[in-house]
Amino acid sequence: MGSDTTHNRRSALRHANPTLLQAFLVQYRVIKALMMREIHTRYGRENIGFLWVIGEPILFCAGVAIVWTAIRPSHEHGLPMTAMVVTGYIPLTMYRHTMARSIKAYAVNSTLLFHRLVTPLDIIIARTILEIFGTILAGVIVLFGCISLGYMEQPQDWGLIFLSTGLTIYFCLAFSMIIAALTERSDLLEKAMGIFSYLSLPFTGAFVMVEWVPPHYRWILQLSPLSNCIEMLRTGQFGIHVVTYYSVSYILTSCTILMIIGLYMTKNIRPHIDLV
Amino acid sequence: MNDFVKCIDLTKRFHVGKTSRLVLDKVNLDVRKGDKVGILGRNGAGKSTLIKLIGGVEQPTSGKIHRGMTVSWPLAFSGAFQGSLSGHDNLRFICRVYDLDYKETLEYVEGFAQLGKQFYDPVKTYSSGMHARLAFALSLAIEFDCYLIDEVIMVGDARFAQKCEDELFTKRADRTLLIVSHSTDFIKSTCNRSVLIYDRKIHSCSSVEEGIEKYHLL
Repeated sequence: MGSDTTHNRRSALRHANPTLLQAFLVQYRVIKALMMREIHTRYGRENIGFLWVIGEPILFCAGVAIVWTAIRPSHEHGLPMTAMVVTGYIPLTMYRHTMARSIKAYAVNSTLLFHRLVTPLDIIIARTILEIFGTILAGVIVLFGCISLGYMEQPQDWGLIFLSTGLTIYFCLAFSMIIAALTERSDLLEKAMGIFSYLSLPFTGAFVMVEWVPPHYRWILQLSPLSNCIEMLRTGQFGIHVVTYYSVSYILTSCTILMIIGLYMTKNIRPHIDLV
Repeated sequence: MNDFVKCIDLTKRFHVGKTSRLVLDKVNLDVRKGDKVGILGRNGAGKSTLIKLIGGVEQPTSGKIHRGMTVSWPLAFSGAFQGSLSGHDNLRFICRVYDLDYKETLEYVEGFAQLGKQFYDPVKTYSSGMHARLAFALSLAIEFDCYLIDEVIMVGDARFAQKCEDELFTKRADRTLLIVSHSTDFIKSTCNRSVLIYDRKIHSCSSVEEGIEKYHLL
């Protein structure tokens, strides 16, 4: 080793050949650093700064909830409009925002790959988690805002609300890995993501309940993991007042398959990343 | 010990649209500990590509790189820094990633780079000389065995050249250096080996002088 590597902490050697535990610690550190960096590059230090992480989704969720509450009938199919909008838009925002942020996520962050400790998996996890974090905080604020202002009843079953949120996060993580890898490989897909995001809206189940759909078309929504999650969320909100169609085992299985595909694609994405 | 950097049958092909361009064709290079290798070649010969491959930034199309020592990221005009962030934010990022002591690193980098107030401005507003100073200061804050230097060293002023002399060539005289440069005088004064890249191959030269002579004939 060099003559003045007495500063052990500064030595690059300690990052070489890590044990499994050390590798996890490095990954944790890198993801944290990436999230801090992302907050600074995206929101800067002006005005409310990093609070925009919550601000963006909250404007979206609250805006839609207010408009729909104002212009639509107060009940649709016997269900209160505000609660329908809030339970639909929060998961939908998480899905759309994580997807939007994962498009070409590696190309725009390619300077980070100069540091060998940073991997594509770290980049996509950091980006997605930051977006999920913002949506959840926004969701909590909107939910409690609506409840305390009297536009919405308290959820009937908090357990289902938490479980559904957890599964939605799982789905968003897996899905954003796949989108990040696909858009990195193909410019055509990158251009097509806008229309895909729009066309996928009916299949998210954010605007409808499966029960409202004619029985022989219900399978389409039941195939969508996000629709399953939102059905579960609404069961938690409305309790026995609604008939819902969801399967926890289907969500777990489909999302795990998506996650395996996503991890596999992320592992092999490195040669396809356009460097600056 | 196998503390050397070795490129084995390294091939790099770039795909641009439907066509592809072969940049390096099965090249081999052995760098032993303490070597100061000057990499010479015309523009577009593949010098920076070789540096990026060794630094692990680009992935080889085929072939292998054995890194028996710790290798820095390539110090170049682009990459490694986020332009929209300040030098200070970039420093904090590197401290977090490499788990460095923030205060100690800040002191070292401020002393070395001497960017003054501009240290807190976005990196994209820096001149190339300032960029080079920041790049050197940050990479020297981590003790690598091997530093990859792509051109940047030439743009600094006299004071920066003196700093590099002290910190890199005197204090860290035992380190390995891979230097890409078009300044033959600089290569002559710092390197003890030179290689020439042309026709997609690496050609080793018996001495630095011979390499420079051949470079002028290209």
